[in-house]
Amino acid sequence: MTVNYGELDWKLIGAVLALSVIGIFLIMSAQHFANTDYERDYYLRQMLWLLIALGVFAAVIHLPLKLFDYGAYLLYGVALVLLVAVLFVGHSKLSDARRFFDFGPINLAPSDIAKIALLLSLSRFFAYTHLPPSSKRRFAISALLAAVPAALILKQPDLGTSLVFFVLLFVLWFWSGLSVGFMLLTVSPILSLVAASHWISWAVYILVVLIVLFLLRPGMLVSIATVVINLAFGAITPLLWNRLADYQKDRFLMFLDPGQDARGAGYQIIQSKIAIGSGGLFGKGFLGGSQSRLDFLPERHTDFIFSVLGEEFGLLGAVVVMLLFCFMFYRAIKVAARCRSRFASNVVMGATGIIMFQFFVNIGMTLSLMPVTGLALPFVSYGGTALVLFWTLIGLIVSAEQHWQEY
Amino acid sequence: MDRLELSMSGRERTAIVVIILMFLFLFAGLLRFQVFQHQQLADQSEKNRVRLLPIVTRRGTFYDREGRVLVDTRTSYTVSVLPSEEVRNLTVPNLAGLLQIDTVEIRKRIVKNTVNRYQPAAVKRGTPFEIVAVLEEQHDRFPGVTIQMERVRNYADSTGAECATGHVSEVSRDELEQYRSSDLRPGSIIGKKGLEKAFDPQLRGLDGTEYIEVFASGQVVGPYEGLARKNPVPGADLHLTLDLDLQRASLLALDSFCCGAVVAIDPRNGEILAMVSYPSWNANLFSGPISDSLWQAMSTDSSHPLLNRPLTGQYPPGSTLKLITVGAGLEEKLITPTSTFRGCTGGYRFGNRIFHCWDERGHGVLAAAHAIEQSCDIYMYQLGLKLGVDLLSKYYDECGFGKPTGIEIPGEVRGNNPNSAYYDRIYGKRGWTQGLVLNNSIGQGEILVTPLQLAQFYCGIANSGTVYRPHMVRSVVWPDGRRQVMSPRRSFALPFSPETMAVLREGARLVVQGDRGTARSLRRKGYTIAGKTGTAQNPHGRDHSLFVGFAPFEAPEIVVCAIIENAGHGSEVAAPVVAKVIDAYMAKKQPPDQIAAVAPEAKR
Repeated sequence: MTVNYGELDWKLIGAVLALSVIGIFLIMSAQHFANTDYERDYYLRQMLWLLIALGVFAAVIHLPLKLFDYGAYLLYGVALVLLVAVLFVGHSKLSDARRFFDFGPINLAPSDIAKIALLLSLSRFFAYTHLPPSSKRRFAISALLAAVPAALILKQPDLGTSLVFFVLLFVLWFWSGLSVGFMLLTVSPILSLVAASHWISWAVYILVVLIVLFLLRPGMLVSIATVVINLAFGAITPLLWNRLADYQKDRFLMFLDPGQDARGAGYQIIQSKIAIGSGGLFGKGFLGGSQSRLDFLPERHTDFIFSVLGEEFGLLGAVVVMLLFCFMFYRAIKVAARCRSRFASNVVMGATGIIMFQFFVNIGMTLSLMPVTGLALPFVSYGGTALVLFWTLIGLIVSAEQHWQEY
Repeated sequence: MDRLELSMSGRERTAIVVIILMFLFLFAGLLRFQVFQHQQLADQSEKNRVRLLPIVTRRGTFYDREGRVLVDTRTSYTVSVLPSEEVRNLTVPNLAGLLQIDTVEIRKRIVKNTVNRYQPAAVKRGTPFEIVAVLEEQHDRFPGVTIQMERVRNYADSTGAECATGHVSEVSRDELEQYRSSDLRPGSIIGKKGLEKAFDPQLRGLDGTEYIEVFASGQVVGPYEGLARKNPVPGADLHLTLDLDLQRASLLALDSFCCGAVVAIDPRNGEILAMVSYPSWNANLFSGPISDSLWQAMSTDSSHPLLNRPLTGQYPPGSTLKLITVGAGLEEKLITPTSTFRGCTGGYRFGNRIFHCWDERGHGVLAAAHAIEQSCDIYMYQLGLKLGVDLLSKYYDECGFGKPTGIEIPGEVRGNNPNSAYYDRIYGKRGWTQGLVLNNSIGQGEILVTPLQLAQFYCGIANSGTVYRPHMVRSVVWPDGRRQVMSPRRSFALPFSPETMAVLREGARLVVQGDRGTARSLRRKGYTIAGKTGTAQNPHGRDHSLFVGFAPFEAPEIVVCAIIENAGHGSEVAAPVVAKVIDAYMAKKQPPDQIAAVAPEAKR
């Protein structure tokens, strides 16, 4: 496939490349004073991975988009097999979880492959189905496509990553025409679960659901089902809470009140808050962050890389990075809206949704606005396979933009 | 188009709104921390990495009146191992050879004392300097071994001065609360008893502070430049009135008994020359952590080594207070120096009870001074009945009994001076009779005194009536040379006229010098000792033996009070103890070439 390099979306590529390079500098700073050479060399490894990721990116834009379209369900099948396999032979940094295959220097996480597989499959399904957006079969099939890999990943267990699958489903529902109000109803049982932590919030919430139902009028059957399911989920909240793993309960409670366990689970959140807050407007300068330099900030080269940014480059640096992200999202959404091919449009929107979700949840986590989920900051956090995955997504977006006129 | 659908441009617009909302939401979070809470979080970040390292200062030294060290602070070395720098099969085996501790034990101590890999784990405290020198010289053989200097309070051996100096110990949680404003921190050493406690603010000085930067793990990066090091200020030294020679002489004199106390005071100014509570204990034990078993043993020992006898021991004074009975009679004009009572036949009938004299053979007819000389009970009974309970009690009070002397050492007790009100409280309004005065007049019954009060009273007798507040600190000397001198303070005057004083002093002289005196064994060639014996009946066992003496009689320079518990007659036990202390004092005043000849055993 020929690529017209002059017409590539260089602004978008430039923004993402800038983020990746900023990431390398932050990783370097985060581990500059580490004890072992291995830790100090994280940034070198990330540089190598960036080269690999750019290679994959180049490959993706040279491949015809149709190939991804036709191969979507095949890849989906492969991903499911890998997800099942990893439950038996997988490894993890957590002793009792099974998240990736260990190939020596490279850890392959099937959940990353499954993200792309689901993105392509859902895009394909929504592109060619003749079922109307509000059809219950269309709704059920797409939900099933997302739920199967998500359930397998929950089994690993990895709550944060499995959420990405539902977000993807959501974004594509939305992009393929489901109204926001309707989608609200579909997630209403989950919201009901959360709202039921207190009876007042739950009562208010049920009232809101009834108002939305009245405005949308989706039909008697759906309305009754929605109300019943909402009531049921609210009622089982205590049961479900007891079934959560302790670390999940901890994370949730810690999110509500990080101070209650300053030495244990809340430690990361508090140290992140101190790091970002002490950065002030302009930060402490490159390599000048005492929180990260002196080892107070855990996971600072991966999940909490944004805290290093906030500490060393202050509000200014943090806003620049956030604007780079938002610029990228804006460009991508424009591409998605312009594409004539439904498949391409869905792929672009879905890919953007994945990146947006991780961006939002990760930064929200470092700012104590979100619970700790273990989702890394795309392009910036240390992690080779994630970098390759995200550059693959960018490759798909750029490729779709190149061929936006094609049906 | 379905009611549930949005147009493509609508979706695009919605997505862009979502991006903007996301950005604003996160931006608000950034503003909250980086702008509104910036100062507070920046402080916290500083606190995170900067550790205060206290530089422990030197606690003030106690000197005796001749400048000899009673209590000081010595350096103790603790050998520790840094777990992160320890080399297996090298550090511990080499250390075991040097410290004479087996490797398993060392390993156990390292594990027990490890906070984290970057903080030294103590292996041996109180290491001798020779071993420390070896460790310093051959540090290649001991990778990871560090030496910490600690300051340990050191009380000079066998001074018997613990009842005065008290001891120090780690500050307790309650005390930390109490002295919140001062610069104490957990682990600080403060005075717990005695002068260590009373003068703690002066003695303690100010700890300095060093600021260091650390990793989250506690590993030290280096000194922190942001804050200047605060240098420690050493504590002030105390120069005491105690004389180490008299202190040791007193201790030696008490050595053959179970328990007792000696207090020696210069009556001319109230300076305490010696103060011993026997058995004494080693205050060094309290400097470090004291073991439960040792504490148990000390607190249950039947000789009560932890009791501070001179200040808190309460004893019936026995005959030593007959001077007050006689003095009160003279002052109240109930007797004259020459008047007599019915002669002593060894007993006295009061109501339907016979009260005995200590000497059942009887003393015959006696005038005041001779009644003191022979310590005649029958004379005192008759005089006591004339005085009554309250008048006698009033004189006891005016002679300093039943109330603290005001010595600077905390914890002094009042003793007990019974009067009508007291008896009404104990026995009920009509539950007692004036007959109780018979006991009181010979220093028995409910009256209780401390050895210090007794010595203080005799200071008045020796010093023509003027009593100086007993005190032990002559001056406080600050490290910068400032000196605060504690001048003697008049406390009160005995309620006796010069004529009365003359009779009482003559009585005290006759006790030693008179033909029938109760302490004739105390006659000396070079100088005259005067005093009074006492044998206090003790409901719990044998009588307590008391003697208070002063010398030289003509111009007294020293008053010594000795109490020996459960030892029998004052004349036989306590009097020789007092004599030994006075001899030691007088020996120091002789020309040097005569000291050895007079009392070689008194000088150590």
